[in-house]
Amino acid sequence: MTDIVEYVPLVRELHERAAKLKQPVNGVFELTSLCNLRCGMCYVRQSGGDKAPGVRKELSASQWLEIAGQARENGLIFLLLTGGEVLLRNDFFEIYEPLTRMGFMITVFTNGALITDSIADRLARCPPSRVEISLYGATSATCEKITGVPGSFAACRAGIENLLARRIPLVLKSTLSRFNVAELEAMRQMAHGWGVPFYASWLLSRRPDKQGSEVEDYRLSAEECVELEATDRASANELREAALSEKVPDSDSNFYCKAGRAAFIVNPYGDLNVCSLLPEPAARPLEIGFHNAWMEVVKYVDSAPAPSPECLGCRDRVFCGRCPAWSLMESGTLSGPVPYWCEIARARKKRYGRPADPSPIE
Amino acid sequence: MKRKDELMLQKVGGQALLIPLGAKVLDMNGMVVLNTTGSFIWELLAEERSFEELVSAVVERFAVEADRAGDDVRTFLDDLIRQGWIAL
Repeated sequence: MTDIVEYVPLVRELHERAAKLKQPVNGVFELTSLCNLRCGMCYVRQSGGDKAPGVRKELSASQWLEIAGQARENGLIFLLLTGGEVLLRNDFFEIYEPLTRMGFMITVFTNGALITDSIADRLARCPPSRVEISLYGATSATCEKITGVPGSFAACRAGIENLLARRIPLVLKSTLSRFNVAELEAMRQMAHGWGVPFYASWLLSRRPDKQGSEVEDYRLSAEECVELEATDRASANELREAALSEKVPDSDSNFYCKAGRAAFIVNPYGDLNVCSLLPEPAARPLEIGFHNAWMEVVKYVDSAPAPSPECLGCRDRVFCGRCPAWSLMESGTLSGPVPYWCEIARARKKRYGRPADPSPIE
Repeated sequence: MKRKDELMLQKVGGQALLIPLGAKVLDMNGMVVLNTTGSFIWELLAEERSFEELVSAVVERFAVEADRAGDDVRTFLDDLIRQGWIAL
């Protein structure tokens, strides 16, 4: 009657099941947009701080717990706490500790630099299922060139070691840019040395709030992205299979992930949105109730327009990872082509072979 | 016997899961999948229950013979006891 099953396939199966039922099983609470680091490619951080003109007031601890309670009643299980830097909130544990008694599988994203002995002790008393820490380099020079904060490399390392000393489940990751890609292997070795899993990502998006971003200075070229993903066997196999299948995706649906069907995000100001990169429909769970706000998100996704005819007819579509969020950030509509993704799709086709046929345009 | 307050039952569709709470996260390293009978018994164990009460409830709910229900309940309880999830 109790089954121990492989975790990743189980989580995938639960998300599939939830998506069919429109159960919001996966939620992100973006607790703050403030950060102690100043990474130029970040899509969240408010550079002016919380006192800057025009910056909205972030939710209080009790408001977060109110949303969490209602979300649980609606089926939330997998909860990610992220920022900004969550540990910048003085009331972080007033939010976190009650959440750990509510029946969620909690993941915490942090840059690690604020994880002192006392913070690690407190986390260890009611640990999350996983902490994920971002590495920005394998050396202080590279890391701090990106973070803009002297001492952040050593602080991050100390934070990692504080968690490991308390057996708190940890995953390390890196956001790669042209400034740190040369240290990818060294970062992987750092993680290996600590005995923790490591993964890297490199698709840098613009800021969804349309504020200025230096992302163009940080992005890798399409060819570099494809070269990187080819080193990952699972990604390479998937793309090779796609190249051989000669089939375009079955669905013309614009949204193809779990966002708006099983997943949502609440931003620091209490707006319930589709995902971190798509700050719409900005439903207000504290005003209309979580269930009604979630239904607004579901309706938003269900009524989204199809991809543009240009995308539907594209011969490289099978290699493309464009989604409505990227379209909105880069083209201003939910459907338009994203030039960066067009380049990546072309580079993938060149690497993996035969192009797929376009689907007929209805 | 009664269940401890270290796990919480959650559901995705009809699929029942036991999610660890507080410090239990480190011991479990994941979550537990329960079948329908396990989920039913777990909910009963919110209150103090005897073995006979559980068997009787399973017989009534699932229309099975008492011998088979007794075996199933015993197997499930052995699991829970081994994991330390119920107080005897």
